[in-house]
Amino acid sequence: MSASPIARQATSSQAIPSRRVLISDPAQMPDVYSSTPGGTIYSTTPGGTRIVYERSFMMSLRQSPISQTPPKCSLPAALLKNPPSSSNSSAPPVQKPRSNSISFDESQETFSMDL
Amino acid sequence: MAGNTAEEVEGSAPAENKTTGTVEVPPEFLIKHPLQNTWSLWFYDNDRNKSWEENQIELTSFDTVEDFWRLYHHIKLPSELRQGHDYAVFKQGIRPMWEDDANKMGGRWLISLEKKQRNSDLDRFWLDVVLLLIGENFEYAEEICGAVVNVRAKLDKIGVWTADTSKQQANLEIGRKLKEQLGIHGKIGFQLHRDTMVKHSSATKNLYTV
Repeated sequence: MSASPIARQATSSQAIPSRRVLISDPAQMPDVYSSTPGGTIYSTTPGGTRIVYERSFMMSLRQSPISQTPPKCSLPAALLKNPPSSSNSSAPPVQKPRSNSISFDESQETFSMDL
Repeated sequence: MAGNTAEEVEGSAPAENKTTGTVEVPPEFLIKHPLQNTWSLWFYDNDRNKSWEENQIELTSFDTVEDFWRLYHHIKLPSELRQGHDYAVFKQGIRPMWEDDANKMGGRWLISLEKKQRNSDLDRFWLDVVLLLIGENFEYAEEICGAVVNVRAKLDKIGVWTADTSKQQANLEIGRKLKEQLGIHGKIGFQLHRDTMVKHSSATKNLYTV
């Protein structure tokens, strides 16, 4: 269950991830009803859901290919980091090597609710 | 935990990919993550031929985490701005001005940075403040209007603007969270906009302090 609820919704063509959790002792059961063994089920509360992201999760999305594309809007040249005219041939921005095996910190809740 | 063995199996997923020959992009990288609110990025230009209000320019707005990063990656950091310039990030529809209906009754938590902090703390504080806002990390997130960073010769400032100064509990929670998340050791104060209007910020008394 590495994907956030939003990612799971949007990429529904992928197989639904499942995981078997073996319970051998009642002590291994979560002590609150809102939790399932091995993790929490996220759902909507009567007041509606507020979309909350932890800093660490948003930082992990910083490297996403979408996040690297230039913004669509036109911005004043004085505000741009790399003015397109000046640094064309000289030093291309160093691209960080991207790996496909990025793992997300599962201990962090990436999505929490208003109760 | 009960799920230990299962988690180990999940952890070996990349190795599985190699054997089957498929390269799986993490699902988080395939989509844009919607934000609770749409936010506008403002820029204060310090053009002497224009009025203060004319100098406030709404550059663009964003409503996903990825669109925020696209902007962030392509515009200058606060420390790279010229002195006299500001950035502001506000909920769409709220102008970064005291006069705006959403700010009239409000105030701000003020973080003042000494000059030497421009290189060490200014950009980090600003990014963390914006992430706290757009990620809705405050318990009373509905009280948040936006945030401003002022780049100035004397003191750089970051202000987090809230809607209603009378809501003590909400404002204190926001101030405490801010201080804790940024790792600020000293005190930070909360000032009413209507006090800041008539006095210089250094002379304005604090309504709350954390």
